[in-house]
Amino acid sequence: MIYFKKVSKIFYPQTVALKDVNLHIRPKEFVSIVGQSGAGKSTLIKLLNAEESPDKGQITIGGWDITDINEKEVPLLRRQIGVVFQDFKLLPKKTVFENVAFALQVCGVSPRRISQIIPQVLKIVRMKDKADRYPHQLSGGEIQRAAIARALVHRPKILLADEPTGNLDSINAQDIIDLLLKINEFGTTVLLVTHNKDVVNRVKKRVVLLDEGQIVSDQEEGKYVL
Amino acid sequence: MFTSAFRIIKFAWQDFFRNFWLSFVTLTILVLALFSINLLIIFNFVAKSAIVSVEDKININLYFKPAISEDQVFNVQRYLQGLSQVKDVQYISKEQALENFKTKHKDDPKILASLDEIAQNPLGASLVIKAKSTSDYPLILENLSDPQYNNLIESKDFDDHKLVINRISGITQKVSTGVIVIALIFTLISILIIFNAIRMALYTHKEEITAMKLVGATNWFVRAPFLLQGVIFGILSLLITILVLYPLMGFIQPYLSLLLENNFNLVSYFNQNFVVIFGLELLGAILMNLISSYWAISKYIRV
Repeated sequence: MIYFKKVSKIFYPQTVALKDVNLHIRPKEFVSIVGQSGAGKSTLIKLLNAEESPDKGQITIGGWDITDINEKEVPLLRRQIGVVFQDFKLLPKKTVFENVAFALQVCGVSPRRISQIIPQVLKIVRMKDKADRYPHQLSGGEIQRAAIARALVHRPKILLADEPTGNLDSINAQDIIDLLLKINEFGTTVLLVTHNKDVVNRVKKRVVLLDEGQIVSDQEEGKYVL
Repeated sequence: MFTSAFRIIKFAWQDFFRNFWLSFVTLTILVLALFSINLLIIFNFVAKSAIVSVEDKININLYFKPAISEDQVFNVQRYLQGLSQVKDVQYISKEQALENFKTKHKDDPKILASLDEIAQNPLGASLVIKAKSTSDYPLILENLSDPQYNNLIESKDFDDHKLVINRISGITQKVSTGVIVIALIFTLISILIIFNAIRMALYTHKEEITAMKLVGATNWFVRAPFLLQGVIFGILSLLITILVLYPLMGFIQPYLSLLLENNFNLVSYFNQNFVVIFGLELLGAILMNLISSYWAISKYIRV
């Protein structure tokens, strides 16, 4: 599903974020990308979301070579991937319903279809009763659940979660991880970027460890070991 | 297509009202910028009217020798009327001149008694010349220096007005130049204010624009509501400016009319030039908003 072939990314002048990374992620996998700050975890997500482009190597998603993706194709790629960010990135002046709807509106989905889909998705993330609230009226965990709903609503095959528990307490963090596992069970490939040891160890899925931009370990049902 | 257009309009309105204070501040800045431009237009109109009012009072009186016949005076009148610089030439007969003289000095018995003693009309006919522009008077006088006319003339009172005329010509020129310079400065300031107001408004949307792009919005889908909002800002700011400007003009009109005696009417001036003045202002405001919005968003849209 996702292939990284000898991918390197250098932030000029000389910060090597990724160096000759080879990685294959199969469909419906749950992969935790772990490592210390500056190891290149977020860069990996940014390359998949076309926020950055690689300096060397090749990246393909579902057979689509996105290495040199052009600007016009970027929105099309992003509509097929769901992304959950550490800082949530919800639109502050839109309600939960409107925030989730936005991901469908950019795809041109009809208002009727939107009003059918969103209650179902909000139900999955247990936010149905808070659909009319604005982000500032929600707790951290609720905001992240709303963000997950937005990332899921267009039924992406891949969900990228970049430190989704970074701003949450342990209870809310566990809640979000459980939600991601549930989404994975439905058949979505999940890439979880985190440096939270407890989270990774509890998930018991594939763990890819990055250090100084290189993959130093890749284990099925691995643990966070530095 | 229709759904997208509807969504863009909805987002523009929604954002306008949900960021009410930001919209209010942006709108106020735009209104102030437009208002200052209109104040400049008022100042320009008042200054020009004041000059016209003073210019209207200036003329040249040509006093003919008493022995000169009416026909000779009419010849000079016809000649003057043929000059392109002349606006109007009024003939005052000997009798009318005497009548005017008596009326003017009705409270001075000594002068009236002297007139009675002379027993005949000592005054000659005269012509009152009005030029199209104060700067034309020297040229008209130059034309009259031809001996065939000059020999008929006893005196001209232009020299009395010469200083005033020269000064007014100078003031007219300076006011015109000054108005152009002030207009340019005001326009530049307004452009910078509008540009900055829109940039600041969009700066607060920086994170939002990034978030929109990251969930798959195209550049156009992100940009369009903000551009539409720029148009809404332009229209609303002009409407508010008009709503404030007209009562203000109605209020100052009577005071200005007292100062400027000619048919001075500020409101009529704006009514007559409504389409040109406000049409250009609307076009300018919208264009400025669109350009500054487009430019400001471009900085944040590259995600």
